[in-house]
Amino acid sequence: MIIHKYLNKIKLLPEPVRQIGGLVTLTVFIILSFAILNIYWGGGDELIRKMKIEEERIEKERKVNEVISSLPSGIVVFYDGTDHYKLSNKQYEAVCKITKLIPQRAIMAAHFLNYKAYELYTINGNKINDTFVKWDKDKNKCFAGYTVSGSNVGVNETVAVSGEVLSFLSTGIDTRVYFIKNF
Amino acid sequence: MELVKKYPKLFQWLFLLVVFFALCFAIDVPETYKFIRGQAEFIKDPNQSTYTLFGKEVRYYAFDNFWRLPPLLGWLPIWINDGLFFLLNEWMPMEFWDSATQEYKTRPLILQISRNITAFMTFLIEFIREILLGGVETIVAFTSWNFVSAYPWVKLPGLPWTIVAAGAAILAYKLSGKGLAIFAGLVMIYISVFGQWKPSMQTLSFILVAAPLSFIFGLSLGVMAYKSKRVEKALYPILLVMQTMPQYAVLVPAMVLFGIGDHAAVIITMVVAIPPMILLTLIGLRGVSPEVIEAGKMSGCSNWQLMTEVLIPTARRDILIGVNQVIMVCFSMAVISAFIGAKGLGWNLLLALNQLNIGLALEAGLCISFIAILLDKMSLAWANKQTDYFGNLTFYQRYKNTIFFGGAVVVGAILALVGSFFFKEGFNYLYEVPHNKGISTADFWNKGVDWIFDTFFVYIKAFNTWLITEVLQPMRALYLRMPAVATLVLVVGAGYIIGGIRSAFTVGALTLFIALSPWWDRALVTTYMATFGVIISCTIGFVVGTLCKQNKYTTNFMLGVCDIFQTFPSFVYLIPVMMLFGVTDTSVLIAVIVYATIPATRYTIEGLRSVPDGLHDAATMSGVTKLQRLFKIELPLAFPHMMLGVNQTIVFALFMVIIGAFIGTEDLGQYILKALSDKAGGGKGLTLGICVAFIGLIFDNLIRTWVEKRKKHLGID
Repeated sequence: MIIHKYLNKIKLLPEPVRQIGGLVTLTVFIILSFAILNIYWGGGDELIRKMKIEEERIEKERKVNEVISSLPSGIVVFYDGTDHYKLSNKQYEAVCKITKLIPQRAIMAAHFLNYKAYELYTINGNKINDTFVKWDKDKNKCFAGYTVSGSNVGVNETVAVSGEVLSFLSTGIDTRVYFIKNF
Repeated sequence: MELVKKYPKLFQWLFLLVVFFALCFAIDVPETYKFIRGQAEFIKDPNQSTYTLFGKEVRYYAFDNFWRLPPLLGWLPIWINDGLFFLLNEWMPMEFWDSATQEYKTRPLILQISRNITAFMTFLIEFIREILLGGVETIVAFTSWNFVSAYPWVKLPGLPWTIVAAGAAILAYKLSGKGLAIFAGLVMIYISVFGQWKPSMQTLSFILVAAPLSFIFGLSLGVMAYKSKRVEKALYPILLVMQTMPQYAVLVPAMVLFGIGDHAAVIITMVVAIPPMILLTLIGLRGVSPEVIEAGKMSGCSNWQLMTEVLIPTARRDILIGVNQVIMVCFSMAVISAFIGAKGLGWNLLLALNQLNIGLALEAGLCISFIAILLDKMSLAWANKQTDYFGNLTFYQRYKNTIFFGGAVVVGAILALVGSFFFKEGFNYLYEVPHNKGISTADFWNKGVDWIFDTFFVYIKAFNTWLITEVLQPMRALYLRMPAVATLVLVVGAGYIIGGIRSAFTVGALTLFIALSPWWDRALVTTYMATFGVIISCTIGFVVGTLCKQNKYTTNFMLGVCDIFQTFPSFVYLIPVMMLFGVTDTSVLIAVIVYATIPATRYTIEGLRSVPDGLHDAATMSGVTKLQRLFKIELPLAFPHMMLGVNQTIVFALFMVIIGAFIGTEDLGQYILKALSDKAGGGKGLTLGICVAFIGLIFDNLIRTWVEKRKKHLGID
């Protein structure tokens, strides 16, 4: 009854007022529909946060690729006296920061001077635990290392090996630690 | 309140614009949002959200919905593709007799039907092509290769170009008189002398199959729609969408069904050419006065007799204008269907454009345009021609054209025979001028293009840079910056103000379809390019049309120019602009402007012409000046008609923008072009085409509704 009364009142309004009322209603209806749709389908801030992270990752990757593509394939070193490509200070830091891999060759070389680590490494099937390659800001040097852990004649042991990275291997796709000076 | 009552529309528009801009300013571009990203692309990104509908998974970036809506229709192209695949490969497998291997083979029904249609079309094309150019395929179809080897004389010889030229001239003379006959003869000589005979006849053979078939189907469907309201209602949405659907978009799904080649081109051309034929048949039949129908019934006509003896002959003119439209569409498609391997002038034009050989492209383009103009004039002459009254005519008077053609056949055959003795190098120029042995002006034009570039490079470059950086890029950015909600409010609001709630819902639904597709950004770019073209075209068209209307001779001249320009296949417009501006967005936009100015000019002149003479006299008697009469009486009265011109301008501009994708744009057309080379492009191409058609229909609905209301208001309905 009340609705009927109000409808009659609307019908009695002048045509221009009804028209503009209709337009306002339509506009509000569209905006509300979008708001409701946003609840179910909109990702909003969460997506932006994720995409920002993704963009940062892409940007980092781009920089890494830039560095890698500037290097020749093969061994690259930080010091003089070899025929290998010598990295500039800037390149040395960049390569250090993008390098993630410590291949078996570098590990085996480091084990020459760490028999305990070698023993644990061979007993436990050439497994290593954590690896790291990090840039030491104070010393302006690149350090790499890893930990080897496992059971040695019934005793659980963990040995950490680390040292200055003196050379890297550039494969054209990525860079790897080539030689760790752990003495 | 009084002001609102006095100027209700003004206040509604003001409210709408305020809301639109408020929404634009209130909704920011989400950080990390990348413009023009096709969200239904096959990119797997963990940041994408997914939903599954009808068993199809759709991935998308779930940004704020006020900014961009999620692609809730993203499943549609995938679903169409799967549907087509299912129909062609799995649905209703049946045993069919394979005459090549002499055994039964299991094939899905639709695949078999499509193969049968393909074979039939290929046969028809080859048959006509071999009548014009000679060959053995038709004979082989009825006999075998062994038979042809045993009896080499059965090979169809093909008609010498002299006979075809004479035949065209005689037909033109019969239809219109000396003028058209001379033009027909000159066109045929031109295409022969310039070595374009073979591709021209290939194009003609394709049109001679597509046009009659389109006519038959169009006429039949038109008659059915006239007879049954149900058929009309069923056809109406298809006709509406096909009016604004870019021809490119039809290529893709048809290619999936029928493969590539001339046969597929004929089928696609029919799909595009049948709707105008249906429409004009319907208009013609509706225009028959009830008195004529009544007279037919009173004479005891059966339904069939009433249709064939009364209705169709009375509606003859409109039906023949339909034939004219069919021929024009066929020519336009002759170039576009070259994308799917149709041979002929279109193929040559496409190859030349691909190689940026403007000279060759111009030669092929001119040939297509000349043949199109010729057939346009001939079909219009046929439409306007009254049926001959055979009174007391002598045998010669009745059959003089046939006799002349018979004579031309004999003379042409003798000339070809003489030519075979006369020309010793192996090319009989009196039979056919080979493609690379005719006169060629390609070098001249290419040098001209080089000269233009050398001389005006700095100015062209400066203009190009200015246009792109100062006009196009800001305009594009403005369009892309519009949030989805603001655009929808603007379009729906405009629909409401112009045509009420019904119009609002119609345009709202069309906009929503595009917004919910994965190509909203691309649609905005298409709209921006079309809008730019339409603004400039309308400005030029209104000014030129108004100026030309001031004089009888200039009016006729301009209408003639519009007639000629309208017959050029749309692709031809790209040639001169590429000559001047190279492969840039500017080229596309200038082609859009040139192409779209034609309807704007024509409708302005016709609108001004439609103002009753009595009003002119009344105005003159009231002592108004010429300018006052133009601005206060003629233009307001002609404006509704001019707005119909704007409507046509929008459709023309949209078509050209889509074709412009060929020389590199980043709108919906580019995606349609990509879909052509995509294995699963059928669904994508069709959906994109529907999006373009809907953009056209939104403007069409708004403009037509406004025009109808305005005409009623002015009392000129």
